Amino acid sequence: MDLKNTPRDAKPLSHAQTTAPEEKEEVGYTFCDGCNEVPFCGIKFFKKGDVVTRIEPWPGFPASPLCSKGYATLQRLYNPNRLTYPLKRTNPKGSPDPGFVRIPWHEAYDLIVGHLKRIKKEHGPHSVFFYVGDPKEPRAAVQRLAATYGSVNYGTESSTACRRAAQLAELLTYGFPTTGNLPTEETRVMLIWGTNPAYSGQPFMCHGELADAKERGVKFIVVDPRITPTAGTLADIHLRPRPATTAALAAGMMHVIFKEGLHDKEFCDTWIHGIEELKRYVKDFTPERTEKITWVPAKKIIAAARLYATHRPGGLKVGAQGTTHDLNATNNHRAILMVPAVCGYIDIPGGITKPTAPLEGMAPWYDGPPEFCLRERMIQMMDHRLDLKVFPAWVEKFFEVQTNYLVEWIKEGKIKAFLGWAFNAMIWPQSHEYQQAIESLEFAMAVDYFYRSSTHDYVDLVLPAATNYERLAPFAFFGRQIFGRTPVKPLGECKEDWQIALDIGVRLGYPDLFFNGNVEEACNDILKMWGLTYGDLRENQHEGILVPANTPELFKKYELGNMRLDGKPGFPTPTGKVEAVSTALEKHGYPALPEYKEPLKTTGEFPLVLISGSRLPYITHSKWRDDAPWLLELQREPLVTINPKDATKRHIARGDEVTLKTACGQIQVKAKPTIMVPPGVVGIMHGWAKANVNELIPRQFDPISGFPPFKEVPCEVAKT
Amino acid sequence: MARYGIHVDLNRCTGCMTCVITCKEENLTPPKVWWQRILEVESEPQDRIVYFRLACMHCDDPPCVPACPEQAIYRNPDGIVLIDHEKCKGHGDCVKACPYGVIDVNPDEDYFQGNTIEYENKPDNYRVHPPGKASKCTLCIHRIEQGKEPACVAACPSKVMVFGDLEDPQSPIQRKLSQSVELLPSEGAKPKVFYMIPGNLSKQIEQRVMENPHMER
Repeated sequence: MDLKNTPRDAKPLSHAQTTAPEEKEEVGYTFCDGCNEVPFCGIKFFKKGDVVTRIEPWPGFPASPLCSKGYATLQRLYNPNRLTYPLKRTNPKGSPDPGFVRIPWHEAYDLIVGHLKRIKKEHGPHSVFFYVGDPKEPRAAVQRLAATYGSVNYGTESSTACRRAAQLAELLTYGFPTTGNLPTEETRVMLIWGTNPAYSGQPFMCHGELADAKERGVKFIVVDPRITPTAGTLADIHLRPRPATTAALAAGMMHVIFKEGLHDKEFCDTWIHGIEELKRYVKDFTPERTEKITWVPAKKIIAAARLYATHRPGGLKVGAQGTTHDLNATNNHRAILMVPAVCGYIDIPGGITKPTAPLEGMAPWYDGPPEFCLRERMIQMMDHRLDLKVFPAWVEKFFEVQTNYLVEWIKEGKIKAFLGWAFNAMIWPQSHEYQQAIESLEFAMAVDYFYRSSTHDYVDLVLPAATNYERLAPFAFFGRQIFGRTPVKPLGECKEDWQIALDIGVRLGYPDLFFNGNVEEACNDILKMWGLTYGDLRENQHEGILVPANTPELFKKYELGNMRLDGKPGFPTPTGKVEAVSTALEKHGYPALPEYKEPLKTTGEFPLVLISGSRLPYITHSKWRDDAPWLLELQREPLVTINPKDATKRHIARGDEVTLKTACGQIQVKAKPTIMVPPGVVGIMHGWAKANVNELIPRQFDPISGFPPFKEVPCEVAKT
Repeated sequence: MARYGIHVDLNRCTGCMTCVITCKEENLTPPKVWWQRILEVESEPQDRIVYFRLACMHCDDPPCVPACPEQAIYRNPDGIVLIDHEKCKGHGDCVKACPYGVIDVNPDEDYFQGNTIEYENKPDNYRVHPPGKASKCTLCIHRIEQGKEPACVAACPSKVMVFGDLEDPQSPIQRKLSQSVELLPSEGAKPKVFYMIPGNLSKQIEQRVMENPHMER
């Protein structure tokens, strides 16, 4: 365990709680936050007193089974390096040692509230930025806090580099968010594009279900430059495109589908806005030309297009961000979405469906229930959004600020303070610019499980968060089924995220709005929408509570009129159709078709393309390396994967120390030659503080979504 | 009497490491001790990467048993091969004798050196691993005795493994056996873990086990 990053005052503690001699084993329940879904896979745990001794998957829970990270949450819980009391900086910003010292909670709260009140008076409330990173669980409570305080400037890791760009593409194209569906009994072919469900969920550890589908005859087309285990175990056809050429490959497939008349003519004519423009656009993407652009053999493009369009109905799985980490993020992802659309695979059994009856008044926790989050108040303050003019199409769809221009906004004096729950400065390209910007603020605060040097060295205050075994909020819901949890007492002085947000709200002078700091009452305020309380959830702990729907599951809802808020037939888009030509993009002067844009050019100096951000199954971003030694032990060193052909050319062997270099800089890593990456491409896991690949990524952004090019940048690897 | 075995379908294994970490969580083995491993084998001509689970094979004729000068290793009546920590003196002969390389010796090391972790207080016997003693998979015999599957089998998200009684004609494992192979049958150990291997990669997998049975990421 690397302890050098731990500040002096946060040295390992011996936790006070111990197992009492005669205590008998009891059962408890919680959810995992390991992959930063919210609240996600179910954990059943066994405890003696307040000590959790072992865990297993929660039988019958909708999100199951657990993965390696889930099991490792137990080791994280009792990691002696956990932060268990508030820390305050005592040395000036910029000092090599921040000089963090232990302070009591009341002093921490006084500090926060003092700064918030002063800054509001001196600079206005919108100059305080509220942020939630990983885990997403605090989002609802923090939005309520931001809205009450009066700042519209709230952002998240989703709105920095994770799911929002793909979601923007989905909203612009279909009008509803979707990452596709798992295959049903009806599905005959699946298109899995830029995601590796074997490792990264979407929607949970579902590979077993996909493998079952394959055994019953479902065909799989997997699109990924890498030989992922998803491709290896499932693909009938594996397309391995050059990174960031997504729109060209999708256009090539649609070219074949239209040319051979395999599209769903009725659906296209009735329900796709801009179908003729799309047909004209893809006309130039012959399989031969598409091969030149994408590296995918023309024959395979034809075979995949035929397989997908002729095995009706087809399904789709796309990832949260695998296809949006480039400078054409939004339109690349929109291009993928048009492939099942032209085949008519939308909202039919076995295809891509929109839930008929989502839980009334609720939204996924990554958004939060609108009323509780005071969304109306946020919308009224919209003119003060920092991203208003830079990303107009984004602002139309999301209440979350796109955060990538944080550096500029801080330099221009528009942001004076930053309140961050579980945030990680390494998420941004050129991370050091964000670290310095945060350091230059009048006040910055972080809430976390551990002291994490790459972020916390730059803030004034670090607060200790309770982990998933120690939190009540939020409860979980899947479809219309709701579950509570039974937390144990938090270690030391840790408090759950919601508690911290509520406490700040109370101390700002809003005890009623923040339930006098009672987390259960805050949950009850949401649960009352369905006539429930947390007590009801406890009484139905194992099975949860199903809120009955007043309608059965329906399909082709665009014909029936229950897809749109106004009850008219059609899709929830401005034209009421799937928008091949996006009216919103057109309005704001962006390319309105899902056009291909040539990625950054490789050169003699940088002949390879760098992919970062692909997942390892036992790590999410940076966090698990410090949190659970079981997982760190699986891989202690940052590894760059390189094709054996490219490695041989450079005299690189397994385990060699190498330099990974782009026009922005270089890092020292170890080499792993592997056929997983194709020739011309190298891959690396992000989030290593000692080799932060995001320092190699330029601060250039997709003009529509503001997403950075984590999977596009030319690079070189050389033996050190 | 039951005779337990595991069938492993490598067509489904993704190398997600859930079995490896659930084993850690279940048995609380110390650092550097891997009762459960996932190795990778690549075949360039086939563009194929295969991940495979390697753990004690609970052989019917286990070479580790006669190798131990202290008679500390024994084959239980249900076929599970176990190490008696009272008798083990840590000579390491079993480590060398095992053709699959799946026996470790417990180091005098903890994940959080110098700290007693809450769940390690008064642990159940199966979670105690005295330093200097030979250490390997017990097939989670403590779970089998409670009517449960071994932790790795139960946890696998991709349903790679089937656990069952090889003597029971009704056990689901029976249906799998006709299509599966042993690893290194030439060693004559009669292992009770059987593999379904994609793409004629048996030889490559066996070579990897003989050359380096340790995990490398």
